[in-house]
Amino acid sequence: VAAGPEIAARHEVMSRHRQQGGQIAAVLPVYAPRALLRAYGFLPVEVWGPPGIPLAGGASHLQPYVCSIVRNALSFLLSGGLDATDIVLVPHACDSLQGLGSILLDFVKPRQPVLTLYLPRHGGGSAGTYLAAELQRLAGELQAISGRAPGPSELLAHVTAEEEADGLLAQLHSARRALPLGNVDFFRLTRSREYLPLEPFMRSARQALALHQESPFGGKALLISGVVPEPMQLLQALDERGARIVTDDLLCGLRRLCPPGRSRDPFVRLAESWQSGPPDSTRGSSLEARREYLLRLVETSGAQAVVFHLVKFCEPELFYMPSLRKALLERGIPSVVIEVDLNDELSQQSITRLDALLEMIP
Amino acid sequence: MKLSDALARLAYAQVVGPAALRVVRVQSEWQARGEVGRSPHLASALKVAPRCKEMIARHWLEGRYAAGVRKVAWVTSGAPVEFLTALGYFLVYPENHAAICGTARVAVDLCQVAEAAGYSRDLCSYVRTDLGSLYSGRTPVGRLPRPDLLVACTNICQTVLFWYRVLADHFRVPLVIVDTPFVYSEQATDHALQYAGAQIDEAIAVAEHVAGRTLRERTYEAVALRSRRATELWLEIMQQNGHIPAPISAFDQFVLMAPIVEMRGQAQTIDFYAAMLDEVDARIRTGVAAVPGERFRVLWDNLPIWYRLRAVAEMLAERGIAVVASTYTNAWGELAPYLDPEAPRESMIRAYTYPILNRGSGHKLRTMQRMIEDYHLDGVILHSDRSCKPYSLGQMDQRDHLAGDLRRPALLLEADHNDSRCYTDEQAANRLAAFAEMMEARA
Repeated sequence: VAAGPEIAARHEVMSRHRQQGGQIAAVLPVYAPRALLRAYGFLPVEVWGPPGIPLAGGASHLQPYVCSIVRNALSFLLSGGLDATDIVLVPHACDSLQGLGSILLDFVKPRQPVLTLYLPRHGGGSAGTYLAAELQRLAGELQAISGRAPGPSELLAHVTAEEEADGLLAQLHSARRALPLGNVDFFRLTRSREYLPLEPFMRSARQALALHQESPFGGKALLISGVVPEPMQLLQALDERGARIVTDDLLCGLRRLCPPGRSRDPFVRLAESWQSGPPDSTRGSSLEARREYLLRLVETSGAQAVVFHLVKFCEPELFYMPSLRKALLERGIPSVVIEVDLNDELSQQSITRLDALLEMIP
Repeated sequence: MKLSDALARLAYAQVVGPAALRVVRVQSEWQARGEVGRSPHLASALKVAPRCKEMIARHWLEGRYAAGVRKVAWVTSGAPVEFLTALGYFLVYPENHAAICGTARVAVDLCQVAEAAGYSRDLCSYVRTDLGSLYSGRTPVGRLPRPDLLVACTNICQTVLFWYRVLADHFRVPLVIVDTPFVYSEQATDHALQYAGAQIDEAIAVAEHVAGRTLRERTYEAVALRSRRATELWLEIMQQNGHIPAPISAFDQFVLMAPIVEMRGQAQTIDFYAAMLDEVDARIRTGVAAVPGERFRVLWDNLPIWYRLRAVAEMLAERGIAVVASTYTNAWGELAPYLDPEAPRESMIRAYTYPILNRGSGHKLRTMQRMIEDYHLDGVILHSDRSCKPYSLGQMDQRDHLAGDLRRPALLLEADHNDSRCYTDEQAANRLAAFAEMMEARA
């Protein structure tokens, strides 16, 4: 296992961007158009929780049966964790994020403007038309806040630049088995896309791709599905056991890696791209589509088992579990479900279950 | 199916069954004459209640024999259904079915069946109840007809999207999704309304294809007209509770709301609610109060606790607390102004985009504030329903505003609408007693 490329810490990146006169957007899960944010001068910084923070603030607004990504995000904002940001973007991915967006707008009313984005759940052509218009509405709000007015060609340039970065991200995933990076380093690299500007991310990605080895990884290979690989102890535990995650079906990972659009209209192109993304729970994809996609991922990656890593109370993910696990079982592929709260350490019970899963792999 | 079997089924569904249900209704009405009250603290049940029970029982009876006779659509409670009714579909509301299981106290057993099949206890208990019923074949309504079409509208929650995906996978029938973007601000955007409209058009095309017939505009308008009339009557009934003392309680409304949810385009629904309105008016004229000696009037927010309806009603009535209004039952009346029978398509788009659950927490707070004024309310009970996140998120801030700005005691009552394992009588009794004391102190 080699050391991964050096990646700047989130706070350093943010403060550098600010020193250069840029603004920062706190972006909640799952999907947000990075290209638009960058075109209007915002550095998109994603907020998946973060894990392990005091919950007092969020607990006075949200019931305990709300997932820890949403509760932590609100607590983080209320405790000043997002003070360095200039806007908060809350895409609509589930009922809990919907509630958070609504509470922020109507009751909490933070210093930063709160923007929302509704992503369509309908698969037809009307959804594409709607999404292009919705992105245009969002762009209008970004323009009003930033004072910038990029033209269509500038917007399109940002869209294609993001597509190029996504292409590199896709290459990293494809080359996963041949990259001598441990699980922690690999996810640190790929998840740096959540906050790095384009250039540093692409530089790091190319450095990692240059580490490509002729003899690929031959140990126990896993696929991880679910929401977000936090707490990181899960990845550490796998590293310690010599097991490798060879591909993912994570909400923060491959599930939102969409192929490029084709239109020359930047909004239509973004909508096309999003619509052609992989099957996903938060889109409300069919069970069949998700089953087939997961089985294909297992097959193409050579994964020998699947770890479903869920955040407790994540309704979209929970609905698909019985069907996905049954499909895996029918193919003789072992799987395990590990449910976590972002504020808890990975439990000994979870580690025992991981060990049991690894023992089942020949 | 053999002709003899078909005739036997027809005879049971149309003659024998309904006759038996009529006998039950007459018996219930007869028994009600001598009824002193459900408890000394509550008025007698409304005389129209047995009629409602008969309507609902007939509906499920008909459903039992609908497969092969009529096309069947399973729909979410907020879905646009007027075109389905106009196309002759028999409609099944899985949410209503789950609520029946809840009141019949069989929901937990059914939930456990779904849980054994891998569905987490953190999922909505309506879903678990219905999936448990589907997998076990057990239901208090006899038998649910297999759907030919599924229609899910996201205007109440995203849960229905996943739920109906599971149903579509199980039944292998077409699923129509009507996705209504959440309205964070006062008005939906034009592109959101156009998107909803395009999907309703697509839904009609699919429903026509499955039904093998074309939607006739005049029939559609007639159904829309009946929907609007029934909705207006329902709203009028609820508004009569502005009277002091309130003639009926929100618990009566919970029990008698099934027709407005699942039969709102039918003529019998109009007749029923017209009769109910007459009875409510008669109560006002003769001074009958839902809670005799009414001392405090409160609002109920969120779904009811189906398996403890009566217990909670009695617990509150003992303290002179009448629950006279509910944001939940109000949701089926407040959209009446949007329904325009002369422009069914356009009006449906707005009616189905603007339900309370598809709007922000601030909008719900303003609705509650308005209801507090209209119904002269002293306090609010917010049922923090573990199974309904869209309804429950925002309640903590709403409670703070109600208690702070409006100086109304507001109680957050933790429970679940269908899963009684998330509810304890003792804890609820303590919380409600404390709430009553807050009202006393304020008085």
